[in-house]
Amino acid sequence: MQPFTPDARIFQVLFQSIFLIYGTVYLEWAQRSWLYAVYIATAIITQLICEAWLRKHIAKPWEARWWKLTLPGLPSALITAMGLCLFLQTNHTTIAIAAAMLGITAKYFIRIRGKHIFNPSALGIVAAVWLTGEAWVNPGQWGNGFVQFSGALILGIIVVTRVQKLDISLAFLFTYIAASFIRQVLYLQWPSDFFYQSVSTGTLLVFSFFMISDPKTTPDHPIARIIWGIMVGLLGFWLHSFEYINGAPVLALVLLQPFVPLFDMICRSSRFQWNRLPVQHVHAHIHH
Amino acid sequence: MYTHIFIIKSISMKKILMAGILVSCSTSLFAFCGFYVSKASGTLSNKTSQVILARDGRKTVVTMYNDFKGNIRDFAMVIPVPVLLQKKDIRVVEPGIFQRLNDYSSPRLVEYYDVNPCMPRVYEKDDLMSVQESVVMKSPKAAPTARGYGVTIEAQYLVGEYDILILGAKESSGLQRWLSDNGYKIPESAEEVLEPYIKSNLKFFVAKVNPKQATALNNGFLRPIQISFASEKFILPIRLGMANADGDQDLVIYGLTRRGRIECTNYRNIDIPSDRNIPLFVKKNFGAFYSNLFQHQWNNEGRNLAFLEYAWDITPINPMKCDPCVGNPPTQQELLTAGAWWLKQADWSDYSDPDMDLPDGNNQTFFTRMHVRYNRNDFPQDLAFQVTPNRNHYQARYIVTHPANGDLSCDEGRTYLRELKARRKKELRQLLSLTGTNMHNWQKDLLSSDAARHEPEIAYAHVADELKNETETEGQGAGMMAWVSALMIGSAGFLRWKGMI
Repeated sequence: MQPFTPDARIFQVLFQSIFLIYGTVYLEWAQRSWLYAVYIATAIITQLICEAWLRKHIAKPWEARWWKLTLPGLPSALITAMGLCLFLQTNHTTIAIAAAMLGITAKYFIRIRGKHIFNPSALGIVAAVWLTGEAWVNPGQWGNGFVQFSGALILGIIVVTRVQKLDISLAFLFTYIAASFIRQVLYLQWPSDFFYQSVSTGTLLVFSFFMISDPKTTPDHPIARIIWGIMVGLLGFWLHSFEYINGAPVLALVLLQPFVPLFDMICRSSRFQWNRLPVQHVHAHIHH
Repeated sequence: MYTHIFIIKSISMKKILMAGILVSCSTSLFAFCGFYVSKASGTLSNKTSQVILARDGRKTVVTMYNDFKGNIRDFAMVIPVPVLLQKKDIRVVEPGIFQRLNDYSSPRLVEYYDVNPCMPRVYEKDDLMSVQESVVMKSPKAAPTARGYGVTIEAQYLVGEYDILILGAKESSGLQRWLSDNGYKIPESAEEVLEPYIKSNLKFFVAKVNPKQATALNNGFLRPIQISFASEKFILPIRLGMANADGDQDLVIYGLTRRGRIECTNYRNIDIPSDRNIPLFVKKNFGAFYSNLFQHQWNNEGRNLAFLEYAWDITPINPMKCDPCVGNPPTQQELLTAGAWWLKQADWSDYSDPDMDLPDGNNQTFFTRMHVRYNRNDFPQDLAFQVTPNRNHYQARYIVTHPANGDLSCDEGRTYLRELKARRKKELRQLLSLTGTNMHNWQKDLLSSDAARHEPEIAYAHVADELKNETETEGQGAGMMAWVSALMIGSAGFLRWKGMI
């Protein structure tokens, strides 16, 4: 169990908040502000309830010890909420609540060998969009200026902190961009700015660095991680280019996450442990 | 208590241009997502197009406005389509539908009247004025035959006054040669998009006017063409339309769906600023005001985006189809004409296709009006859309307020005048920030506005003079974001250096 230090996940929350402020102020998502409050409140409350339930034999919520055990997990609930804020739009409070609750509870209860299967925000998004039909994602919401802004910011932070383990993000991003390049420029012969427009969407960047990169929901073995990242990239590309699905990478991620335990079985590797790494990771995770 | 008087004023193109100092771009309605080709050596331009997109499930019905004004024998149009269209998938509709939808959904001006606080009588009314963008259009041309170019004429129909060919092609240079050999003058830049379209298995819908049918047309107006097809793709091919366009082109999209708003998925969508109080004198020049506003917002927001101008639930049984209305809401019959096939109840014949879902009695209809100003540089991709479940209403609405009349010498009256002056200052500021203009641009309007009033200190000209002396602070936001980012990177670096992370 880790003590509650200003760990790298705090930076992830800060990042996502900056993106959210950028979106709200510059990209004029203002009409959505109420949603953010719903996501954040629901995610935190759900996390607290789940913690209370799981630790009911160890400590009680009115004991200081319980809070000591629970507080370190809260940044990951915030990261989940931020992921929802940045992607998922809906006009219904109930759907917003359900999406956040589903993501968080699945993190506690859908587990194989102690490892949760689904990325909480991705699962919430997929369920809300494709099961209820009353929510949607729009990859166009970021415009093009966002890439320069966020790209510089992400790169800057990564360079100075080296907190982000990049293998899976880069495997995904490279596959997706390469596949798009091959199809759009080499095969269809669109001019290069057509290609740039399709890969410079903010959704792709936020997805690569803040969603797929979660080490708790990716394979443990280094080679398996790369292969899995490539698989998500290919499936995401296919869903986007041939099935015309918006937010295809998120769907691809959720569809492929059930295979992660299979990868772990085939390529046995030491289980990912936060405290064994030289530097901490910027990821959503829980402490059990 | 409220009397609503709706005045729809048509602002002619000439008038807009006369307001000239302010108008940096001409707003005219017309053209197409395809491109015009011509035998004539005249310059072709299609500055503003209107298109209706009705979409539900996998089915899309596209109606393209035709305001061609040259010799109709010179008219020709090429549109890429995702499937091979059958004759029953193509029809012509009455052109009036576009005017109806435009009138109904145009940005609107609302007038309010202040009550004289010294004379407690209620007298309020709303006046409305809609931007009636008038229509300017120039020529195209055409005539086709044959093969040997890797081009196949997959179908040939006569629909209304149009001869229609559906072409399939193997490679773009063949298609280009075929078109030019058949008298279509193809802009050179068109090839850059022909090849990707061919590779994407798109067919080319080529229409020209059948001379025999054309003579039967009343007053020579061509009717809009409506096509329907089933495809996962929900796109509007604007790239081909850029081929012969110089500079920016405007496109107004009327979306009809059962679920909710349509929005663009590969460009940013934003709402055009709305519900703003603007100076009274804008009333005389609302068309010019709106074109300035649009141009300014477009530049300001980075150009490559789509503006929402109107969104409303217009389900036939919904009693309130606009508030306030600038034009009559479209009727069920008109919506059917516009392509909303699901409103048809029993006799389903026109668009029957095993692929498509039949009307199930659910006649929910949601209307979206989007306005896109595109050019080759800012819009490298065709517009892609999605139907969202978002049913929130929206309208572009601007408010002018008439000051109270009569004697205002009582105490309340003096307070009112003070407030009025402050309000007018705000209105002027709003005007300048919405349109990106400066006070000088509005000088003429300022002076002529309400010179006749007996309280000179509340005249716009006077308020404007005071405003000029006040300094304005704007554009600090971007700098702040840069500072926050720098601070974050710096602090991350510091923590890393200290070994804390």
